[in-house]
Amino acid sequence: MAHVEVIDPNDPGKPNRPDTYGETNRDILRVLLKPSVGYMLGVLLAFTGMVIGGWSWYQQITWGMGVAGITHPTMWGVYIVTFVFWVGIGHAGTLISAILYLVRSKWRTGVYRASEAMTVFAVMTALLFPVLHLGRCWQAYWFFPYPNQRQLWLNFKSPLMWDVFAISTYFTVSVVFFYVGLIPDIAAFRDHSRGLVRKFYGVLALGWRGTHRQWYHYMAAYGFFAAFAAPLVLSVHSVVSWDFAMAPTPGWHSTIFPPYFVAGAIFSGCAMVISLLMPMSYLFDWHKYVNTWHYENLAKMCMLTSGILTYAYGMEYFVSWYSQNPYEQNIFLWRATPTAAYGWAFYLMVFCNCIAPLAWYSKKLRTNHISLFIVAAIVNVGMWFERFNIIVSSLAHNFDPATWWYYWPSYIEWGVLIGSTGWFFFWFLLFAKSFPAIALTEIKEMVEPPVKGSV
Amino acid sequence: MSSAVRVKAVYNHLDCMLTGVDRLKRAGYTGFTVQAPLPRHEIEEIMYEGRPSPVRWWTMTGAIIGLTAGWGITSLTHSTWPMINPGGKPTVAPVPFAVIMFEATILVGALFTGLGMIVHAGLPSYFIDRSLRDPRMTDGSFGITFTRASSAQQEAIVELLSKTGAVEVTTGDDTFYEVPNDRV
Repeated sequence: MAHVEVIDPNDPGKPNRPDTYGETNRDILRVLLKPSVGYMLGVLLAFTGMVIGGWSWYQQITWGMGVAGITHPTMWGVYIVTFVFWVGIGHAGTLISAILYLVRSKWRTGVYRASEAMTVFAVMTALLFPVLHLGRCWQAYWFFPYPNQRQLWLNFKSPLMWDVFAISTYFTVSVVFFYVGLIPDIAAFRDHSRGLVRKFYGVLALGWRGTHRQWYHYMAAYGFFAAFAAPLVLSVHSVVSWDFAMAPTPGWHSTIFPPYFVAGAIFSGCAMVISLLMPMSYLFDWHKYVNTWHYENLAKMCMLTSGILTYAYGMEYFVSWYSQNPYEQNIFLWRATPTAAYGWAFYLMVFCNCIAPLAWYSKKLRTNHISLFIVAAIVNVGMWFERFNIIVSSLAHNFDPATWWYYWPSYIEWGVLIGSTGWFFFWFLLFAKSFPAIALTEIKEMVEPPVKGSV
Repeated sequence: MSSAVRVKAVYNHLDCMLTGVDRLKRAGYTGFTVQAPLPRHEIEEIMYEGRPSPVRWWTMTGAIIGLTAGWGITSLTHSTWPMINPGGKPTVAPVPFAVIMFEATILVGALFTGLGMIVHAGLPSYFIDRSLRDPRMTDGSFGITFTRASSAQQEAIVELLSKTGAVEVTTGDDTFYEVPNDRV
């Protein structure tokens, strides 16, 4: 008899596993059944958000950038804040799917597909914002190098150009990695469906039949994709942070920004995975595959990154004091003054990102679904305000006191923010209902293989 | 002259299927396809005997092309207007260009990896032999299929596979599996 190695047979503390490969298929395929009222309400809510966002953008295109609240000196407002927020959200997916794959982390299996989908849709959402911020969105192709008569090219020495390349690369690689991972699972969906739906999945599955040749090259490529995606996780938000750190603006010009931004991105991304997966697992009854064990591990990631963020917040104050630079000292003092224009945003950020996650140091709260959901939502709010605090306060309180100004977003900007949230959730909900949001193939790898024992 | 025939064995157990593959290889048979609903390293080991996939060469080629393209696009475009040096940096500035070169390396390397996988895995395989289009292989079963066995060998192959715990051994048009109507 040939030797069969059982992968991870009876590790303690794991979620209940299905007994057979077929059972896994049947469990995950249940998402294709008639949608529930809760799901339809979610889609309707997300769609309403998209309509609000679309209407706001239409107003901005019609009347010009004046309808957005950004004005001198705060020329970067909600659009750039929300751009950085969604890029950050997009980080956890690739962290979970690539880095945790390379280190063979066992808990990633149940959550990585949904996290990858979150990454793709979050970056899709983030990509809207530079275009929105342009005003003349039809000129967006100017971001990319293209041959032209006067040989006018991009300034590749600018961090803004680095960002265009970093985010485009991250999006492309994430989509390819995501799609390649989906191919065998879409094939399973194809083989369990009929009619036009079968044809749809058939085209997307690229005729996948699980032959030894297909698996062999697929697994080799998957490993390389993970190896490519892993440094991207660390580089993308570092590049985003250079949009700020390369400028001499007080409060931005700091070498601590790259690790600080990467930690913040992973923090918000993991919190968003909890916020997304928990209602989904109740909606689609995925408790066998995604449960407290996964949420607790995600919460631990948040605890670690929250600690790093807290350290970074403190270190910014230390460096501004130690630098003896009056502009740096002034902006940090002003940010933390409760009665100052954005003092409330600073303390909201500290509460959400440094204090609220401390609740998870209690195992009881870390394993309680209500507490997990509430704290994860608080973290997401806090991380949006972190970007608001960094971007808006530094610009509104720049070098020259004569230019100091109070910025508050207009209703158009709030509309676009609501729209971006609706856009993100709309795509995620559609995906979760139409595709395997739990990775079928990798769940099967956790199942004890069927062995007869004697031939 | 003998004509080509199809022979297919379906297994519910991994070890039985591996035994089937092992015995086929020992008997000197080649040209069969193994199917599985998940990647198993045992199958890879027995079929490829530890040889690494050539996809890695695609990855390396893509990464080198990306790195070169990143260097090329940054230095050549900036050299078009050498009198303009933003930030006081040299016209060809390795440090800021390193970011673009890194991104281009990753991007082209990943795209070439995908291309390599598609080429070597034979994707898209919409028109793969009908005997291999078996929905049980994405569910929970394993399969060994000869899409073009010689008719002289047919009997010996069927006999060999039947003794390895296959739940079904079929030949000719019987290897075509009809999808039941009770699917979702």
